[in-house]
Amino acid sequence: MRDFKSVMTENGKGKFYLFTELCKGCGLCIEKCPKHTIGWSERVGIYGAPTVEPGHGEEDCIACKTCQTVCPDCAIMIEKIK
Amino acid sequence: MAVEFNNVAPAMPACWRKETKTHKFCPGCGHGIVLKALGEAIDELGIQDKVIFSVDIGCCLLAIDFFNCDTVQTHHGRTNAVCAGVKRATPDKIVIAYMGDGGGYAIGSQHLVNCAARNEKITSILVNNTNYGMTGGQMAPTTLPGQKTETSPYGRSVEQQGEPTHGPEMVAAMAGQGAYVARGTVAKPKQLKNYLKKALQAQLNGSGFSFVEALSTCPTNWATNAQKTWAFLENEMQAEYPVGEFKVPEEGGQTK
Repeated sequence: MRDFKSVMTENGKGKFYLFTELCKGCGLCIEKCPKHTIGWSERVGIYGAPTVEPGHGEEDCIACKTCQTVCPDCAIMIEKIK
Repeated sequence: MAVEFNNVAPAMPACWRKETKTHKFCPGCGHGIVLKALGEAIDELGIQDKVIFSVDIGCCLLAIDFFNCDTVQTHHGRTNAVCAGVKRATPDKIVIAYMGDGGGYAIGSQHLVNCAARNEKITSILVNNTNYGMTGGQMAPTTLPGQKTETSPYGRSVEQQGEPTHGPEMVAAMAGQGAYVARGTVAKPKQLKNYLKKALQAQLNGSGFSFVEALSTCPTNWATNAQKTWAFLENEMQAEYPVGEFKVPEEGGQTK
């Protein structure tokens, strides 16, 4: 299986993996996030558009995996910390 | 604290071909969500080695190298007809036709209607984004009344161009006993995966034609940002096209 470069952001509840070689910067996850914690990152993705990262809103990521479900490119993977 | 990795595998369906990713669809295109739901349904049923995947012309043909499955590409809505032939020649395979609304409802509607009338034992998936995406966003049979496209700059007029095509309702009326007909939306990927799984299960049981329409997004041709894309899909499209199951095979192949 081919692996992709990723950036991992961790908080107490989960690990947020963002695959910069897959993210096209469409922003669908930003709108669907129930906690409004996802925002634009300074890293660029495969098409030169900004990628996303958690930790932008007032509330933090709760590892609900909504962004992973709606991402058309499988660019987000959430690992829950038990 | 951000940490970089090189060796983490993304949460992709196992039947996706990793070498061809990232895929060729536009940013924000709903095809990725439909194909992810389809990939998960194939994985859960464990039928990857039996699947023959057929793509039509249009944006959906960019999925030609999407799966690690045998794939055939056909022209101008003939994917249903080709799939019917493939299924008759190799009845033990699972044949999936994948098309857009232009290919399925405009140039290929006769094949869709006749496959439904003959109750061919194939699964047909149609992605509805209310325009012809690949050629630049022209008006399609599914364009909503009043929606502006390249060829309807003042909005679609019901008087001149008629009401939008409601595909699953048409197929449900045409198809015989044992058919499965549903309409899902990429705003609810889990529900969509459930519908696709039931459609594939109907083909595995050999009960009849299975058809799933997926309401999808086209940010490039709608000229919308992420917020307006979801709003158009969830408010305007789902008001015109109700989501749900239209025909479900009962136990023993009978239809409600």
